[in-house]
Amino acid sequence: MLEEFITGFGMAMRLDTFAFMAAGLFGGMLVGALPGFTTLMAMAILLPISFFLEPIVGIPFLLGVYKGGIFGGSIPAILVSMPGTGAAVATSRDGYKLTQQGKSRKALDMALFSSVFGDTSSDIFTLLMIFPIAFLVMQFGPPELFVVLLLSLVIIAATSGENPVKSLLMMALGLWLSFIGTDPLGGVERFTFGIFDLKSGIPLLPMLIGVFAIPEVAGVVMRSEGVRQLSSLVGERLSFKEFRASFKTICRSTAIGAGIGTIPGLGQVVAAMMGYAAAKNASDHPETFGEGELEGIAAAEAANNAVNGPTMVPLLTLGIPGDNVTAILLGAFVAQGLRPGPQLFEEQGATVFAILIAMVFANILFLGIGYLSIPFFSRLVQIKTSILIPIVIMFAFAGTFVFRSDNFDLLMLVAFGIFGLIARAGKFDVMPMVMGFILGPPMEYAFGQMVAMGNGSTMAFMFEERLPALCVLLATPVIGLFLWKRMQTVTKPK
Amino acid sequence: MNINKLSIEQRIVLAFFASAGLSVVFIGQLVAAPKLLFGRSLTAISPSLFPIIALSCLAILSAAFFAWRMKNPEPADKEPMNFGSMKRGAMFFGLMTFYGLLMEPIGFWISSALSLALMSWLVGNRSILQIVALSFTGPALLYLAATRLLAVSLPELNSIELFYAQVLGL
Repeated sequence: MLEEFITGFGMAMRLDTFAFMAAGLFGGMLVGALPGFTTLMAMAILLPISFFLEPIVGIPFLLGVYKGGIFGGSIPAILVSMPGTGAAVATSRDGYKLTQQGKSRKALDMALFSSVFGDTSSDIFTLLMIFPIAFLVMQFGPPELFVVLLLSLVIIAATSGENPVKSLLMMALGLWLSFIGTDPLGGVERFTFGIFDLKSGIPLLPMLIGVFAIPEVAGVVMRSEGVRQLSSLVGERLSFKEFRASFKTICRSTAIGAGIGTIPGLGQVVAAMMGYAAAKNASDHPETFGEGELEGIAAAEAANNAVNGPTMVPLLTLGIPGDNVTAILLGAFVAQGLRPGPQLFEEQGATVFAILIAMVFANILFLGIGYLSIPFFSRLVQIKTSILIPIVIMFAFAGTFVFRSDNFDLLMLVAFGIFGLIARAGKFDVMPMVMGFILGPPMEYAFGQMVAMGNGSTMAFMFEERLPALCVLLATPVIGLFLWKRMQTVTKPK
Repeated sequence: MNINKLSIEQRIVLAFFASAGLSVVFIGQLVAAPKLLFGRSLTAISPSLFPIIALSCLAILSAAFFAWRMKNPEPADKEPMNFGSMKRGAMFFGLMTFYGLLMEPIGFWISSALSLALMSWLVGNRSILQIVALSFTGPALLYLAATRLLAVSLPELNSIELFYAQVLGL
């Protein structure tokens, strides 16, 4: 194996590999920075380019697009509170508040540095631990996946918002919204009221843009702040002291992201939210989270980028793509004649190691390109709001439309915008709702599989046969105690 | 209980309770019956099981929170929304609905140009030159970027697509 590693190292050190990775990173960053235009879209469009390149050039090029796109998604989340993907939702909470405080440069710098740190550490971890991790992942079945998703949801709801019960309410609402459409197991219609457009469910992008960006924009319109110019509000760069203060959080989030990345089906959204929740929970000043806390950005960005490397573990060793993006990567591997699975390392070990090593080096390029392009992106806030707001709305509509080319999505965008504004007026946090909506279908699917595996007996199978029983037994009192403590804080007279 | 005296938060919770409760009661009408093959269901769990669990949680939590809030009222907002803000908000969402409804029938360019101009004016821009420049260049640049660089389609009228194709020599 050491021989293959050394050969792979030599293979990765090519100028064209680095040039295409740099192009992929910049392209991904640019597409990710356009609100509504996703990394997935960029990868799907650029996939054919990789077919005409050698595997060691084409696949790192796509990985560059992937890494750049994930970071790029945090740019509109920070600057205009418009997370293009679920992974950037946590970043937008503190990022946009920092922009409002005139610290958008610091927020973008923190997002970049924590992303690069999380990504690099998790890539090195993947490179060294790919075989032991693959063995562990093979033990993960539907019951484990169900429990991890359930606990993620409860923890997210318990740690977000001012009042945990209100967050739980929103989470249940999100789950309900996720049921609209076709049942993932049996294919029967639920809550569609005979409306054809609802058969495929509520689309995610109009919900994300609607509940996060539109209320922000509506707030500015309603407060009549149209002619305000934000030119003096770009702010200073991030200092080393500020980065060092968040370093512990970054390390914690990296570990969380790397762990979650190894499990197929969880991905960046869960990682970002778990990283954010863990940071808030561990902080001496949790009340500052959501109000413009640099540590909040560090936690979310390190965690969601730390997923990138380990998602390659189930993909390369078992041939299981963890999400849509890795499914595209799987297509690129297959098109290049590399069939992911247990045989891949035996047949093409050096090439696989070369790709993994290129992933590590891509982060250095990522840092350079990101650092140089941040001043360009952060100047977005210098545009007058009377010009920026119409442009943001146009991007929101165009991005929503291109997602499915369905006019119905535009009306959903408006409806979610109104809902977001009402929720804000009632001081409800919309984040647990979005998380419930995203994680509801995979959770229901895993639950259905678990029941099928247990021949119809849910609890008996779970508690007698599988490890998750232990997780539930250990986690439930801890979360219960945490919720009780939070409720005590909420009910305490001020 | 006077509904007019309830806060926005309480009204939202009440709406959650009513909609979740009604959905649980009428779940049979809202969720289709499972597909059967030789009299046996094709899936291990009923399609209404998960919705019933989530909706019951929503209804119970809403009721509990509402009762708790009645005992522990929250202090009223210092700055309640005034009529002017509400009017601007209504105009903003009306404009967004107009944009959403018009994009497909009249195309991206025209609907965006109209909406951007109106939106810019609503937000307080009174410079005709800026409004005109914004409403023409913004949609044009995004349209070209989306259709040429990212190879995704935006709705457009045939005449505009024809003009665009002629300009680019396609």
